[in-house]
Formats: sequence, structure tokens, C-alpha cells
Amino acid sequence: MNSARSPLPARLVAAAGQWLPPLIVAAGFLGLWALLTLTIYKGKGFLVPAPQDVAAAFAENFAVIALASLTTLREAAFGYLIAIALGILIAAVLSQSRILERSFYPYAVLLQTVPVVAIAPLIVLWFGYNDFSVIIISLIISLFPIINNTLLGLQSTPRSLVELFAMHRTNRLATFWKLRAPSALPSIMAGLKISAGLSVIGAIVGEFIIGSGGTQGGLGVQIIFAQGRMYTSLLFAEVICATLLGFLFFLIVTLISNALLGHWHESAS
Amino acid sequence: MNTAATALDADATAPPRPRGGGVPIELREVWKEFDTKVKALDIVNLDIAGGEFVSIVGPSGCGKSTLLRIVAGLLAPSGGACVRATNARAAFVFQDAALLPWRSVLRNAELLMELEGYAAPDRRQRAEKAMQLVGLSGFADAYPHQLSGGMRMRLSLARAMALQPDLLLLDEPLAAVDELTRDTLQEELQQLWRKLNFTALLVTHNVHEAVYLSTRIAVMSPRPGRIEKVINVPFAFPRAPELRATAEFAALTGQVSALLRHHAVGGAE
Ligand SMILES: Nc1ncnc2c1ncn2[C@@H]1O[C@H](COP(=O)(O)OP(=O)(O)OP(=O)(O)O)[C@@H](O)[C@H]1O
Ligand SMILES: [Mg+2]
Repeated sequence: MNSARSPLPARLVAAAGQWLPPLIVAAGFLGLWALLTLTIYKGKGFLVPAPQDVAAAFAENFAVIALASLTTLREAAFGYLIAIALGILIAAVLSQSRILERSFYPYAVLLQTVPVVAIAPLIVLWFGYNDFSVIIISLIISLFPIINNTLLGLQSTPRSLVELFAMHRTNRLATFWKLRAPSALPSIMAGLKISAGLSVIGAIVGEFIIGSGGTQGGLGVQIIFAQGRMYTSLLFAEVICATLLGFLFFLIVTLISNALLGHWHESAS
Repeated sequence: MNTAATALDADATAPPRPRGGGVPIELREVWKEFDTKVKALDIVNLDIAGGEFVSIVGPSGCGKSTLLRIVAGLLAPSGGACVRATNARAAFVFQDAALLPWRSVLRNAELLMELEGYAAPDRRQRAEKAMQLVGLSGFADAYPHQLSGGMRMRLSLARAMALQPDLLLLDEPLAAVDELTRDTLQEELQQLWRKLNFTALLVTHNVHEAVYLSTRIAVMSPRPGRIEKVINVPFAFPRAPELRATAEFAALTGQVSALLRHHAVGGAE
């Protein structure tokens, strides 16, 4: 029944069943990539570098990449955490009244439809060429999915449960904490998962705009540098790191989500 | 089971409430039109004595749930009045069991008492007794998704019973369980009603269920719902499961079904 109680071999088989397919895909992808660099892109490493060249560039520039990754990680993490706090708060407030929601929700949607790349320069103009601007850009891009999903979750409490609480004269506050908030949790978690990757994208976009006057910047800055130097294998290594950062956020949220919802929500398993 | 029921009845810490056969209900010229201009209920008059078990049957959409919500105090009638003792304690049992998936079985059983502000030790004790009453004692720490449909309904009943209601309102509580489970639950419901002495108002589509459980059956017309006829069910209590196989039982269910069919056709003209 419960996977925690089944014998070890069965668990290994189950784990293999889960991890093997994506690993096979990864191996196939690497193989195809290597093949391409040996055929079509032979001698054109500046367009598509071979996997081993990317690995070499990664090793050679490890210090720079690690520092850049940490910078981007810090910016994206701040943007993401502020977006979570702000997004949930805004949704909780909007969910309190239809009029509030109708007045402000359209502007929350604008947050999503405004091209972040286009307003990023404006934000840099306002807040300066620094980490703070990057955090703001990351925040803006991660905010809407969190507001939207939280609001959806808070508003889709099953009717019978709402009536049950109403029958026993439960006040608004107690109904919110005992019913609406917990039943919104799966939806909130879904929003957080979407925004996990977005926050890293926002940070990279922000770094593109602020650039760096020769000082050490995040991955976005390093990617622009690598491009300028036609150092494509380094660029690849940095893009991979940026991707993994987003994945890391996603993974952490998924683990938290499973821990919170594992024992009651079907979609969490 | 008997001891459990006695124990629940004899609970000295219970808040004072009128005993002796549940609370009477009087529906006087109640009608209901929604904001959408849908007229759900035409004039409804119904007198229910304390401790009665009345079922409401009628075509889909005729306003049965609306009527139940009015009696529950969840909806205000557009006109007329639903008269019942102001200190009467009512509990509602929904078709979908309406459990909180993030709470364990025991904590679900405690929910209504928690909302009503009972002290924690008292509520734990009553919840455990109520769970014993419906045969769920071994599942205190399980979560609702680990229960079968029948067990979920038992939990929903236990949750209501723990409150020692004077009035139990049931909206198609057994519509979603299989036939065998339904028969068992009907017997258990009848035992609970006989032991705990509440007034019961049951909405059902199942004529057999209505005849087996009720002292009287109210047959409603299609929307806007009216009570076309109230039928006495003469069988003595306790009613054995074998009653369902008798000719008298078949005759009465036949009579109710015929009435339903007749009015369904009549209403469509
Ligand atoms: N909150 C509401 N607002 C507007 N119309 C409603 C509302 N609730 C119910 N109605 C309408 O009132 C009518 C009666 O609904 P109700 O749910 O009471 O029917 P019912 O007899 O319980 O039906 P069923 O057997 O299918 O459960 C329906 O036409 C329904 O669409
Ligand atoms: Mg209904």
C-alpha cells in the first residue's frame, strides 16, 4: 500500500521506473548533441560547442560561474519570496470583497500582460543599476501567477463546506483560517510552482538590462559577456546553470508542497 | 453501540437543551424566488412534530435542497416563515460528505463542536463516542481520502451526531454510495434516530429509502415546488431490513412512485 512500508527491492524498482525514463531522454539528447557537433557543426564550435567543450568551459570558469550563480540566486530568491508574501497578501485582501476584486484584479492582470523586458529599462532608471532593480523585475514577473492562483483557490471553496461553516455561525476570520486558506493551499502551491522558474527569468532579464560596468554580475551579465567574446561554450555552461537555478526553486517548492499536502491531496503524490 | 449511545445521551457536561423527541418545525406559506427570478418554491406548508422522520421526494430541480436550506437557516424565504425553537441545534449532512481533507478523521468529527466553541477535552470525548456509534473507532488518525464512500458518509453522520442535534437535515446523503452500503447506512441511520431522538428531514430521490426510514413522506411537484401530498408510512419501528421485501412495502413504494410520476407529467403540461 504505502510506499514507505513496501520492501526495499520493490522500492528500488519503483524509483528506477520514475528516474530511468527522464535519464534515458537526457542521454539521448546528449548523444544527439555530440553527434551534431561531429557532423553538421563540425568546426563551428562558436555556434554549437561540443558537450565536452562546454564541460571544459565550466571547469575553467568555475569561480566566475559559481559567483554569478550565487548572485542570480540571491536576486531571484529575494524577488520570489517577496512575490510570495505580496501575492498571497494581495489575493487574500481581494478575496474579501467582490467590489475590491472587481476594482483591482484587472490591474493585476496588467502586471502579467505588460512586457517585462520593455519596462525593465524603466525600472532600472527609477531604482538604479543595482541588485535592487533586478529584484524588483524578478518580483514583477513572479507576482501574477501567485495572485491569480491564490485568489482562485480562496474563491473555490466547496459550497457545502461554506454552508457547513455558515450553519454553525462561524465568523469571517475563523472561516478564513479554518476553511478558505487551507482549502486554497493546493492552488497556492500550483501558483508558486509556476513562479519558481519565472523569478529566475526575471532576474536574468534584469541583469541583461543593468549590465555591469566591468564588475562581477549575475548569470545574465556573464551571458552577455560570453556572447560579446564569442565564447559560446561558456555561454552554454551559463545558460545551463540559469536553467538549473529555476529548476532548483521548482524542486524546493515541490518538496514543500508534497510535505504540506501529501497526506490529504491526491495531486500531491 | 447501545452503551455508546447511552453514554452520549448522559453526558453531563453538555450545554442545556430541550430533550424529548427533537424539535418541531412549522413551515407556513414558505416560498422562494432567487435573485435570478427563478421561482424555486411555491407556497409550502408543512408541520413536523418533534422526533418525526420526514422525507421529501420530488423531481430534480423542484426546490428540495432550497427547502432544506431554508429550514437550516442558510437561506431566507422570500415569504412565509419557518418556525422552530430558537435554541434548537441543527446539523446538516451533505451528499458529498463535506469533510475537510486536511484534517484527520477524529479532527473532522470534532469540527462542528470546535466551531460551536466547545472545550477541547469535551469535544475529543464526544467525537470519540460518536465515531464509536457509527463504527469508525479504529480510524481516528486516518485521513478522509483513505476512507471508502460509505465510511466518509459515516464520518459525516458522526460529526453531526457529536453535536447531539435536535434537528438533522440530510440532503441526499446516500445518493453517492453503492446499494449494499446504502442499505446498511439506512439501517444505521434509523438506529441513530431511534436512539438519539432528533427530528429528521431527509431529501432523497430513492423512494425505497424514503419509505424505509420515514414516518411521513412529502411528495413535491416540479418547479416551482409545492407539496402535492403527504403520505403516512404506517410500519412500526424498529423496522427490520426484511421489511423491504414485504408486499406492503412494495405497495407503498409503488404508490409513492406513481404519485411522483403523475405529478412529473402533470407539471410538464
Ligand atoms: N443560489 C441559487 N441561485 C439561483 N437559483 C438557484 C439557486 N439555488 C437553486 N436555484 C434554482 O432553484 C431551483 C431549485 O433548486 P434546488 O437545488 O432546490 O433543487 P432540488 O430539488 O434540490 O434538485 P436536485 O434534486 O437536482 O438536487 C433550480 O431551478 C435551481 O436552478
Ligand atoms: Mg438538491
